[in-house]
Amino acid sequence: MRREVLEQLRRDVEAKRAVVLVTDLDTAEARLVYPFGDGAGVPPALLAAAREAAERDQSRKVEGAGAGLFLRVFNPPVRVLIVGAVHIAQSLARMVQLAGYDVLVVDPRRSFATGERFGDVPLTAEWPDEVVARVGLDRRSAVVTMTHDPKIDDPALAAALRSEAFYVGALGSKKTQEARRERLRKAGFSDADLSRIHGPVGLPIGSVSTGEIAVSILSQLVECLRRPRASPRAGA
Amino acid sequence: MTADALYQEAIVRLAREARGAGRLEAPDGSATLDNPLCGDRVTVEVRLRGSRIEALAHQVRGCILCEAAASLLCRAAMGGTGGDAREARRSLTELLCSGARPPAGAWEDLAAFAPVGSVPSRHGCVLLPFDALGEAVARAKG
Repeated sequence: MRREVLEQLRRDVEAKRAVVLVTDLDTAEARLVYPFGDGAGVPPALLAAAREAAERDQSRKVEGAGAGLFLRVFNPPVRVLIVGAVHIAQSLARMVQLAGYDVLVVDPRRSFATGERFGDVPLTAEWPDEVVARVGLDRRSAVVTMTHDPKIDDPALAAALRSEAFYVGALGSKKTQEARRERLRKAGFSDADLSRIHGPVGLPIGSVSTGEIAVSILSQLVECLRRPRASPRAGA
Repeated sequence: MTADALYQEAIVRLAREARGAGRLEAPDGSATLDNPLCGDRVTVEVRLRGSRIEALAHQVRGCILCEAAASLLCRAAMGGTGGDAREARRSLTELLCSGARPPAGAWEDLAAFAPVGSVPSRHGCVLLPFDALGEAVARAKG
């Protein structure tokens, strides 16, 4: 691999940009393809294969002239933004870490967002939309709101709906969800936007305890990540 | 219309007015305070001329009560001293805790917050901008 390709790859990984390293198995020539870029200068079939590999998060070989090409996927990490340093968040944040994802718990209420409650889980006592403006949300991001306070949850959901986040979940009963949808409609979001919100949040597995609710949320999140077409939209 | 509904309308109107929302170019003092229980956060900036408040601006991230209180504060505190604002905070506390009507004058609109008196957990939302102003004035005086 040429040095400039390696250096660009390193910059892309640091910038959390999805990139596919395409190696010609005959010549060992390597190039970078941006699966979600504009595709300029990339043969359409190769772009499509790179995009599919990135979406599946699976490196693979594709047939081509000679020995073919190897597509190695470098996806940015899956990041889960948990809004609300509440009891369920304590369980969910740890489970998210065990699943191998990055997590950040956000709650402007300092009495909730404390190190004593969350140990070494990354935590910040800021407003969620300010955090989003700082860290950004991409197609590998998930947002789950749990404060039950519209003043804190709604700006987080609005920021999530304006992004490509693959999962948006909102804790709350059906009644709460309807009131929330109404507020977000008034804020200019369409029914198609609102259909991205999973609420009541989590897979219906009969969860009762906070740990069980966290399992149901994480399961739904994984399904949206790994089987995006199989997971029904909220409200569907 | 009940008195409560009227006052609540007054709170909404104050919040919408958002008097003084924004920043000052060259503040003499500023302070940011937050309420750790509900997340409300207020920044108040002041410019003084002698002991009088010449300019005042605020930024609120919080509930409508906090926004309304900051808006009223920016209108009523202008031209007065830090001591006047402290006195107004005392009137507000008395209103919230015992229902005593605020004195006539620059601060009489504090009466809009009377319905908050029966909800002690929200007193902090109304008082926060006043506390931030007190701190900002103290810093401006150095």
